[in-house]
Amino acid sequence: MQVVETFGRYVEQWSGPRPRRAQGLLRLGWEAQNFKNRHLPDKRLLPADRYLATVMMDAMLKPLQAPASSAIVSVFTPCELLQEAGLNPYNVEGFSCYLSGSCAERGFLQQAENAGISETLCSYHKTFLGAADKGVLPRPACIVYTNLTCDANLLTFRRLAEMYHVPVFAIDVPMQQSEENVAYVADQLRQLAEFLHTVTGRALDEEALRARLRRSRRTLEKFRECQRARADRYVPTDLVTPLYSGMTNNILLGSEAVEAYADRLLADIKAAGPARGKRIYWMHTIPFWSEAVRHALAFREEAQIVGCELSQVCEPEFDPESPFEAMAWRMVYHSLNGSALRRIEAGIRRARECGADGVVWFDHWGCKHTLGSAQLAKKKFEEAGLPLLILDGDGCDRSHGGEGQTATRLEAFLEMLGEGGQPA
Amino acid sequence: MNSTYYVCKYTPIELLAAFGARCENLNGMQAGFDRADQIAHPNLCGFGKSLIEAVLAGQVKELVLVNCCDTIRSVCDVLQETGKLDFLYLVDMLHGDGVCSRERTVAQLKGLARAYGEYKGASFDPEAFRAAFHKPERVRGPHLRVLGARMGKELFEMVQKAMPYPVENDTCVHNRSVGEVLPPEGADFDSLMDWYAGELLHQMPCMRMTDNTGRKALFNDPDLKGVLYHTVKFCDFYSFEYAQIKQHLAAPLLKIESDYTLQSSGQLLTRLEAFAESLDTTRFEGKEKKMGKGYFAGIDSGSTSTDVVILDKGGKMVTGIILPTGAGAAAGAERALDEALAQAKLKREDIDAIVTTGYGRTAIAEGDKSITEITCHARGAHFLDPTVRTVIDIGGQDSKVIRLDENGNVVNFVMNDKCAAGTGRFLEMMARTLELDLHQMSHTGLNYKEDITISSMCTVFAESEVVSLIAQNKPTDDIVHGLNKAVASKTAALAKRVGGEERYMMTGGVSKNKGLVKTLEEKLGTTLVVSDQAQLCGALGAALFARDLVQGN
Repeated sequence: MQVVETFGRYVEQWSGPRPRRAQGLLRLGWEAQNFKNRHLPDKRLLPADRYLATVMMDAMLKPLQAPASSAIVSVFTPCELLQEAGLNPYNVEGFSCYLSGSCAERGFLQQAENAGISETLCSYHKTFLGAADKGVLPRPACIVYTNLTCDANLLTFRRLAEMYHVPVFAIDVPMQQSEENVAYVADQLRQLAEFLHTVTGRALDEEALRARLRRSRRTLEKFRECQRARADRYVPTDLVTPLYSGMTNNILLGSEAVEAYADRLLADIKAAGPARGKRIYWMHTIPFWSEAVRHALAFREEAQIVGCELSQVCEPEFDPESPFEAMAWRMVYHSLNGSALRRIEAGIRRARECGADGVVWFDHWGCKHTLGSAQLAKKKFEEAGLPLLILDGDGCDRSHGGEGQTATRLEAFLEMLGEGGQPA
Repeated sequence: MNSTYYVCKYTPIELLAAFGARCENLNGMQAGFDRADQIAHPNLCGFGKSLIEAVLAGQVKELVLVNCCDTIRSVCDVLQETGKLDFLYLVDMLHGDGVCSRERTVAQLKGLARAYGEYKGASFDPEAFRAAFHKPERVRGPHLRVLGARMGKELFEMVQKAMPYPVENDTCVHNRSVGEVLPPEGADFDSLMDWYAGELLHQMPCMRMTDNTGRKALFNDPDLKGVLYHTVKFCDFYSFEYAQIKQHLAAPLLKIESDYTLQSSGQLLTRLEAFAESLDTTRFEGKEKKMGKGYFAGIDSGSTSTDVVILDKGGKMVTGIILPTGAGAAAGAERALDEALAQAKLKREDIDAIVTTGYGRTAIAEGDKSITEITCHARGAHFLDPTVRTVIDIGGQDSKVIRLDENGNVVNFVMNDKCAAGTGRFLEMMARTLELDLHQMSHTGLNYKEDITISSMCTVFAESEVVSLIAQNKPTDDIVHGLNKAVASKTAALAKRVGGEERYMMTGGVSKNKGLVKTLEEKLGTTLVVSDQAQLCGALGAALFARDLVQGN
């Protein structure tokens, strides 16, 4: 841990006065971590999940290795079009998590606040903005984002585009589910294809796009199968693996790597031992840095995370033969779009699917969408027979911790569920 | 008849009026959020909670919302579940104003018309629709403007009262411009809705719209004498605009934040008055007084101590004393003034003028005038060292950074929010946890070995971090240095926000804390001027203003 802290301190110190050096150090550190992921992985993880760590790390390294062919995106932007245009998408949440994992987030958060950005903005966005401001993030080819589920998107990406002077494309997603709204979004996605053509000079091959959408659908179907198969299996996991699939099933959906992961995962789960301990379904992001959460849920037979909301945000029920409508449908019928009840109902369905005993609703600091519906979620999940813990914290910023409180709440919740033979 | 309440300027209120609605902007601040906190999260923005509170109190029966933000969408879900409203509707307003958005908006308008018409049992009345359009009235001539996130009615009234110019409320829902043009005559419902969708969408964009470049017009007005930029706690939209304009705006700018409760007004009043003072220096003139014996007093009534300075007519300090404020500001001030007079061997009638400052300034009957501590600190600091351009004052309950010009006038200032982190109180609490007195605390962190970071900004969580560091047997020097770093980071961030320039002076009681001064110097990358009179700076500024009140000076 001390090595990581020292690494983070140098990244922080060099950013600003020597941004290229900070970028170089970041890249070197992450490449070293990726080497470790490949050759000395955490053997406690399933082989599929070890592979996933390298897929995710590759995605976050690419903007540092080849910025001119990278694009900043919001997490729920359908990225098949970008992949077809030869661009590597990377999202704010994923990149900020890696900065936080490198213990370098504090200075970037402070930088954003110094610039006048509100302290209550989501810390993923604030970290990313601060890092961009300090010159740690190289200039991307373009920015593509959507307003879907997160207000911060409307602000962060506009500011980044002004900062970098790069082309930006916004996808406006209405909140009601209707075919007219799917058509409205599909039209915008056609414009996005033209936009990407202008940015990259690469014309879209619609047949290749269809093939990619077929892969997207197959991947989501296989992932659903994994979750169903997991219901009676014990899958040892850390805190980052469920988050990784939350990122890869969105920004890398349609890639061969993510389909390969779903195939490997299914095989590994089928070979896994019988279910044991208490099984937690996790709504929203996971504070991977928290020792309290790690102590309660990482690699523990007594209690473990069996699924994360972010990895299953829509049903695999779109038609790849109409690729623009398919992507638009995914956005309009996204679980987090529209009324909070849609999100809650999807959460209940998926928690049941993977045999969860209880649910954690993680109130990530600054996420108004999640905070706002927390009490409603508690009521609805519990009416559906799934005990729910509302846990306040931060997925990225350690200063919003309160580790003692987190440990007490989480452990009491597990005791309440009957973990370790305690009375339920 | 119930009012139909709305909260967003994109709400089609003229359409609702065409079905007989009496529309009203719901914008009151609440005394507290007891009811709202039971069914929603405390970290929801105060306005969202005030909506829930108003509905749960039975004040609102009909509410038309717009999907303005994540908070309003959540509030709609929460209110739907309560079943307390007779009519609740959420308009899905898009983020662009292009042709396709307009078509989708027409569909939204028709959906609302259908739902509200059914609820009211009424049909669309074209005459009532037309009659509902009113040309918005605007302040003319030199004025100030409140911009940013919506401002509660009570706070806006306080702003109007405090400012030396008329104030235009151009926040959020208040700069609705529908009504500039009347609907086309003789058009059918479909054509009217198409026209109306365009009118709604083409207003001055708010920050949720994809293209909001039109907002620049809000800042480019030759009659604009200053801007009060308002944000609501836990609403992030407008901090981005503030971050953009704060470097470039030519007019004076004050940033204020409220949480939509009436209680937050105390600290805001100081900021408003200080801003008003910086806009209009003639306000210091007060009632003119005749020269008597030529002594002038300044009383700074702070939350921890009350300081008094007496000057003679040559501007020489005759005496300066610091006493604990005690239970009441007025009694504390009287005691301190008596003590100062005794020390200077003067009588009350020897003092020609008194100016009061600090939190208790208005509670003190003795004074001839009260001026905010921000203006007084600036004046005092300039008197002590005219090369100073930035004053950092860490007080008991707040910390402030003040930028001055070469004449000692306030150019800009910023204060911490209501949280205790980064204030003298924070250090006091931590000293207690470490079982140190303040004098010991001021030296302890100087010889640290391990560079500990206290990551929690919240005072309560920071205290539990300190307790856990004590449990780990970490040396007290290292812990205190970590605490000094936490306060210094917060303070340096304030300094950066206000555009701090050299030279820096530190005032207030915390300036005696050597460890903190050193850490803050490291954070700022410069040295701090710490005067022997640092603690008396506010009272000294007040005494200088008192001298100005008297003829012949």
